[in-house]
This record gives sequence, structure tokens and C-alpha cells, in this order.
Amino acid sequence: QEFTAKIGNLEAPQAVINQMIEKVGDLVSERTDGAVEFQLFPSGQLGPQREMTEAVQLGTLEATVAPIAFLGGFNPEASIVDIPFLYPADETAAQEIRAGEFGTALCESFESRGTHCVGLWPNGRKQFTSNTSMEDMDAFQNQTFRVMESSILQAQMEALGATAVPLPFGELYTALQTGVVEGQENPLDTIFNMKFHEVQDYLLVSNHGVIENVILFNPMFWDSLPEEYRATITEAFAEVIPELIEKKAEAGEEALQVIRDSGTEVRELSEEETAAFRAAMYAPAREAYLDRAGTAGQTLIDLYEEAYATATQ
Amino acid sequence: MKMFLTALRLAERTVLVAILLGMVALFALNVLVRQWGGPMAAELAWIDETVRLMNLFLVFLSAGLALERGRQVAVDTWRDRIAARTGLPLRRIIDIVGCLFSLYIAWMALTMARFVFSTGQRSPTLDVPIGYIYLAPALGFALLALRYALSLAGVVHRFNTPEPEEIAQ
Amino acid sequence: MILIAAICALAVLLLVTGFEMLLVLGLPTLVVKEGFFAALPDAVLAQKMTGGINQSLLLAIPFFLFAAELMGEGQIARRLTTLVRAFVGHLPGGMGYTTIGAAMGFGSVSGSAPATVAAMGHIIYPELRRTGFPEKFSLGLIVSSAETALLIPPSIALIIYGWLSGTSIASLFVAGLGVGVVLGLAFAVMVALQARRSGVRGDPRPSRFELWAAIRGAGWAMGMPLIILGGIYGGIFTPTEAAAVSCAYAIFVECVVYRKLGFGGLVRVTERAAIATGVIFILLAMGSLLSYFITLAQIPGAIIAGFEAIEGGPITFLIVVNVIFIIAGMFVDPNSIQLILVPPLFPVATALGIDPVHFGMIVAVNVTLGMVTPPFGLDLFVASSQLNRPVTTIIQGIWPFILANLVVLLLITYVPGLSTLLPRLIL
Ligand code: NA
Ligand code: NA
Repeated sequence: QEFTAKIGNLEAPQAVINQMIEKVGDLVSERTDGAVEFQLFPSGQLGPQREMTEAVQLGTLEATVAPIAFLGGFNPEASIVDIPFLYPADETAAQEIRAGEFGTALCESFESRGTHCVGLWPNGRKQFTSNTSMEDMDAFQNQTFRVMESSILQAQMEALGATAVPLPFGELYTALQTGVVEGQENPLDTIFNMKFHEVQDYLLVSNHGVIENVILFNPMFWDSLPEEYRATITEAFAEVIPELIEKKAEAGEEALQVIRDSGTEVRELSEEETAAFRAAMYAPAREAYLDRAGTAGQTLIDLYEEAYATATQ
Repeated sequence: MKMFLTALRLAERTVLVAILLGMVALFALNVLVRQWGGPMAAELAWIDETVRLMNLFLVFLSAGLALERGRQVAVDTWRDRIAARTGLPLRRIIDIVGCLFSLYIAWMALTMARFVFSTGQRSPTLDVPIGYIYLAPALGFALLALRYALSLAGVVHRFNTPEPEEIAQ
Repeated sequence: MILIAAICALAVLLLVTGFEMLLVLGLPTLVVKEGFFAALPDAVLAQKMTGGINQSLLLAIPFFLFAAELMGEGQIARRLTTLVRAFVGHLPGGMGYTTIGAAMGFGSVSGSAPATVAAMGHIIYPELRRTGFPEKFSLGLIVSSAETALLIPPSIALIIYGWLSGTSIASLFVAGLGVGVVLGLAFAVMVALQARRSGVRGDPRPSRFELWAAIRGAGWAMGMPLIILGGIYGGIFTPTEAAAVSCAYAIFVECVVYRKLGFGGLVRVTERAAIATGVIFILLAMGSLLSYFITLAQIPGAIIAGFEAIEGGPITFLIVVNVIFIIAGMFVDPNSIQLILVPPLFPVATALGIDPVHFGMIVAVNVTLGMVTPPFGLDLFVASSQLNRPVTTIIQGIWPFILANLVVLLLITYVPGLSTLLPRLIL
């Protein structure tokens, strides 16, 4: 082969994202007659996301498929995806926003950051789990939730009267078990893979946050590829999205079943509740976002709000 | 030279002690506030990152001092016997190699720091340029290179056992 | 292949000629980088070195090191050992069993074997020597007892395995407790044998008055383990935070309550702990650099492919697994080993009908073993730096324990019940 792309990713090898990267690798290899090969490094073998992204900028790693939530330090504009209830519940409407003008602008915002964005990949929605009941919005008052290091996520929890505590992911299982924090937020398959349901009594299927992944290539490597290969790669990443959404939903359903069977009490947010939660959480989180992302963030959020209005009409 | 070294050592020791005590104080404060401070806990989200950054500087800034005091781990059981048997000036070779290696790593760390400063990457909670984390190894390996050089020049005596001619003097 | 052998030979040459360990690990890695990955910018060296130690989970090490220095320099350690001596001192070899018990107790809060060595090492070592245990045995005992910290929950190593393999972490924790106890018992047998061989004597049995005096004297000092254990299991703080809180408590007790440690003393102790931290972490930094290139070169994949040629059932497979892990453990740090080796080996294990929890225990014991196997066993260097003894002396002391470890590993490997029974009974 002429080109080998090392691709780093945080998730375990059996995770949907890795299966899909592998599939894209197969498609690309086939369509370029083996000229371009992907070499996968899953489960953070090459380091945590911050280092992998830095490595893509530096050129020691050709590509990474990264949750945007980890990239605020590289591209504050992209932190817009941390804002809760960003996409409508309906996945088709969500994909419309992702594939439209807003998604394109979000992707392009990575170009000035020493990376080339090949596309956006959905990777599920976040849910709340806790050891204290979450029977309504008031129940969140004074609960402590572990969130990732992000001022937007802090604002999101404050909006519910809860306290956001940033803890290292590796210590989260034990912290939930002993009660250092009461709850946390993650997608269903992460909750299942990390076995958080073993140490959590309640799960609220809130779908409140999107986990959006971005596919970033090192610009030098990208420019060294012939035009047709670049098109092949970009297309392959785009064409598997429907399958990715489907598999992700299946994995979520399976995870939910196991979590239910484990005795964790599962409740789903109704449509009215979703609207109420969005009304409470969206504005403070949006403000926290604009604090950091400035005028470029304002442009992006205008684009987003227009797209959201159209998609939910 | 002697005055410079004394000042350098004092600076290193002061910084190291301040950093370690500061790390303890920050983590203890974090626990206190989370337990009794209610929602104030969210205000202290920057602590974990800050302590990590302090630890990096603690680690790298202590490297030179540790070498000078003979604390860097080495298997020196056979060193002098091999030197005597082969007639190689092993201690000098180690000092030269160590100095060159440390200089190179310091240079690479500086390169990395400059690169990361140029990309504008910032830290998630402190919101400071991430490039700072690479200044820690840059400074640390520079201090280490200095100690290897001083040991080569005979200004500091870092080996646990004196060389035969040193005993004679 | 010849080049790899040449690089290993270079590392060995640097090691025996007395180069600092940071050079022994760093120089060959630099050669690998220039030889195989010349196209990568060299700045990656600084990036991986820094990244390897810029991790929250490692912060427990400086804090526990500091706490140990504070306790050792002040009164807490002396009073705690007086208390322990009052209760077990009259038993022949009592201090040996105490070492194992203390390591397991400490392991129940810390997931870090080096932190355990650091925290216990120079408190317990003089006591072991005082009661008549030989130097090398005492060193080996301290270093290997600390391994149980990785098995007894909470354990980051088991959480990583659970995540990579999809195994219940609750089951792994319960099984890890069982296996940790088995390992502790194996070491206890060695203590009993050694105590008889070196004629370790017991102290005279203490009077009730002496016992009471020891208990009263330990009042504030007892707060140390109580705060750490109570704080973690009471959900007040995480194990890493517990380490920091224990430093704050030790400073308070030594400087304010006992008043034996003044400002100058505190500064001296802090400086010592800072330098000890630096010495250990610079090896961690070099180790993660080495792990990075081993991962990049996909060496583990090549080794596994080589062993796959051997056809065989579960028994052969488990031998192969153990050999691969032991070889990898000699060079690579415990977390990286799992990230690299578990994903390719786990599916094979389940296909052969090996229970995931059982396989997890085999992996965990191997990983803990890697902490103490030369040439790159971090705990060896921690002990060397903490107790001021040559690494070679510690390696000589650790051999019998590694053999005991291998016996336990064989037991765990071929008696699945040791791993799976406890989770089935409790969960
Ligand atoms: Na533990
Ligand atoms: Na090892």
C-alpha cells in the first residue's frame, strides 16, 4: 500500500464506533485497490483524546475519531455540542441538522485549528443515572453529578439546581459506589460498558445531550493523498452514517434491557418533560458557551438555531 | 559559579516545597468544599487540572537536584569494576551521554511547547494555554543536562561512592 | 528482528554499566524512534513523556509518598508501630504478617502498588530488620506485599479490564478480593518459613498496662487509617483525594498536636517527598514512552500471532497467555499492557469457554507481577529509592516471592473456582 493512516480512538474495540471505522477502512482499501490502509488504535492505546488530537496536529497520528466534548480546548466554537437538547429527539431530523449548513460550519471550524475535518459522526445521546430518584425536575435539586471538565456542562447542571463535580473517568465507578457523587451522565452503551448500573439505582432516559464525534485528519497527510482517494475516504465516512445510527440504537436498546434486568429503575422522559427540561437548561448553557466561544460562537449558534427551527417545524 | 549554584539550589528547593504543599492544600480544600460548601464545589472545577500541572513541574524540576544528590535510580553495582577492568572512563561517558540526551529532550520539549502555543490549544477548566505543560520537561531536562555537565566538569560529585583518586586527595 | 535484539542488548549494556535508569529506558527508545519511525517528528518524545505522567490517577503516588515521609519523620509511624508491636510483637515473625496485613489494608484504599511501597516501606522496613528478618527477605516482602493493592478493590486495573472485556466490575472486585487474599496467604507461608529459618524471635508478651499505654499513645495516630478508610467507604472522597487529605491530617497532627515537627522539619520532609516523587515519575515518563513505541510497532500483535500457530485447548492457551503477559510485564506498565493485550486475547478466551471473571484474575495477577519483575518493575525502583538500597539487592530479595507468585498464578489459572466461587456466593 502507498498510504497508511493510523487512526486513534478512545472506545473499546467492540464499540460500535470502532466497528464502523473498521468498515470504512475496508471500503477505502477496496475502492483504492489497497493503496490506502487504515491501522486502528482503539481504547486510547496511543493516549487520551487530548494527546491524540495534538498528535494529529503534529503529524504523529494521521487521524482520530474524537468526541467533540473533548475538543473544547482545541476549538471552543465546537463546544456548542455540549449544550443540552441540541438536536431534536427524532434521529432523521437530527441528521438533517448535522448534514446541513450548521454541520458544515461546525466541521469547517476545525480547519483553522491545524486539522482537516472529514465529517461528523453521531455517537448516541447522554442519559442521567443517579442513586437518588429523579422523578421530576425538582428532584435534581442539590444532587451531585459527575460531568466532564466543561463550563457548559456545569451550567447545565446548575440550571437544574444540581452540583456538577468533575472527577476522573477512571475513578467514577468507585465514586458512584461509595457515594462521593450521586449521579453521572453518559450514553446507554457507555453506562453498560462501564457497568455504572451496578452501582446506580435510577436511570432517566433523558436523551439530553448529544455525543457528537468528529473525524479529524492531519492536513499534511490529507494533502499528500491524490484527489480521488480523498473523495473516496470522505464518502466512505459519510455513507456508513445510517448504519452507524442503526447499530448505535440497537446497542442502546440491548444496554437498556440489561440495565433494566439488573434492577436499576428506568424511567423515560415524556415529551412534555423534555420540553420543560430544554426550557430550563438550554439558555444558561448557551450563555456559558458564548462566554467562551465569542463572536465566532455567536455566528455558529445563529446558524444552529435557524436549522433547529426548520427541522422541528 | 558557586554563588550561582547556591542560588539555583535554593530556588529549586523553594519551588518544590511550595508546589507539594500547594497540591495538598488545594486537594484538601476541594474535599472540604464539596462536603460542606454545597454548590460552591462547581467553582473549584479547576483544582484537578491545576494539581496535575503542579505535579508535572514538581516531577521535572526535581530531576536535576535528584541527580546531584545521587538519588536518580541506577544499577551501579558493577560500574566501577567494569570501568577498572576495561579501562573505560565510565563515569565520564555516563555524564556526557546523559548531558547530550537531556539537552536533546529539553530541546524537543521546547519545540513541543512552541508548537502547542502556536496552535492555540487551551486547557478545559483553567483556560490557560496547554503549551505550559511542555515547559515543565523543557526546564527539567535543561536542569538535568546542567547537572550532568557540572558532574563531568567535577563541580558536583553525584556518584554515591567517590572515585579512587578522589579518596586519595 | 536482529535490530530488536541489538536494541535490547544496548539496554542491558547501559543497565549493567551503571547508567541512570532514565537513560537505560530513554536511549534505546530514542534508537527505536530513529530506526523505525524516523518520519515522526521527534517532538513526540516530549509529548508522550509528559502525557504519561499528566494523569489524575497517578496523583495518589506523590501524596502517599509525602504522607509516609511525614509519618516517618514525626510521631505517627512510631506510635502506630508501637501499637502493632504490642499486639503481634510476641509472635515469632509477627512483624512479617503485619507487613502483609498492612499492605492489604492499604491496598483496600489505594489501587497503586508503588504508592503502597512508598507509604509502608520505610516505616515497616526497620521493624522487620529489628525482629531479625534478613535484609533481602524484608525488601522482597515489602515490595511483593504491595502487589495486593492492585487486586483488592477498589482497583483501577480491574476497572480497565471490566471496560475492555465487558465483565461485571462488581464480580471482578469480589473475585479480586479473594485472589488478593490467596496471594497474601502465599506470602504468609513464606514469612513462616523464613521466621523459622532465621530464628526470628518474638518480643516478651506485653503486660496489660503496656498494651493500654500503646493504645492510648496511638490515639491521634490511629486517626490516619481511620480517616482514610472512613473517608473512602463513607463516600466523602476518592482514593486519590484520600491521599491528599492524609497529608493534611499528618501535617496537622505532627505540627500542631505532637509539636515535634517544626517549620524547618516540615520543609525538609516536603523536599524529600518532592524529590522521591520526581525520581519515580521520571521513570514512569520514560516507561510510557517505551510503551508508546511498543504499541506503535504492534509488537504484541506479532507475538500473539506467533503463539496462535500453536494449536491447543484452554490449558495450552492459558500457558501462552501467561508467558505473553510475563514477557510484556517485564517492559510495559500495567495499564498499557491491558490496553494492548486484553482486546486480542479476550475473545479467544471466551471462545475456549474460559469464564470472563476467571480470565480477568489471570490478567490481574500477571499485571501485578509485572510491577515487580526486572528489568522494568516500577516497584523495584520505588523501593530502591525509598529505602536507599541498590536495585540489585532488591531483585535478589524478590526472586523467592516471584516464584511464590508464579505458583499462585498457576493455581489461579488452573483452579477457576478460586476466581469464580466468591462472586457466585456473594452476588
Ligand atoms: Na486496591
Ligand atoms: Na516489570
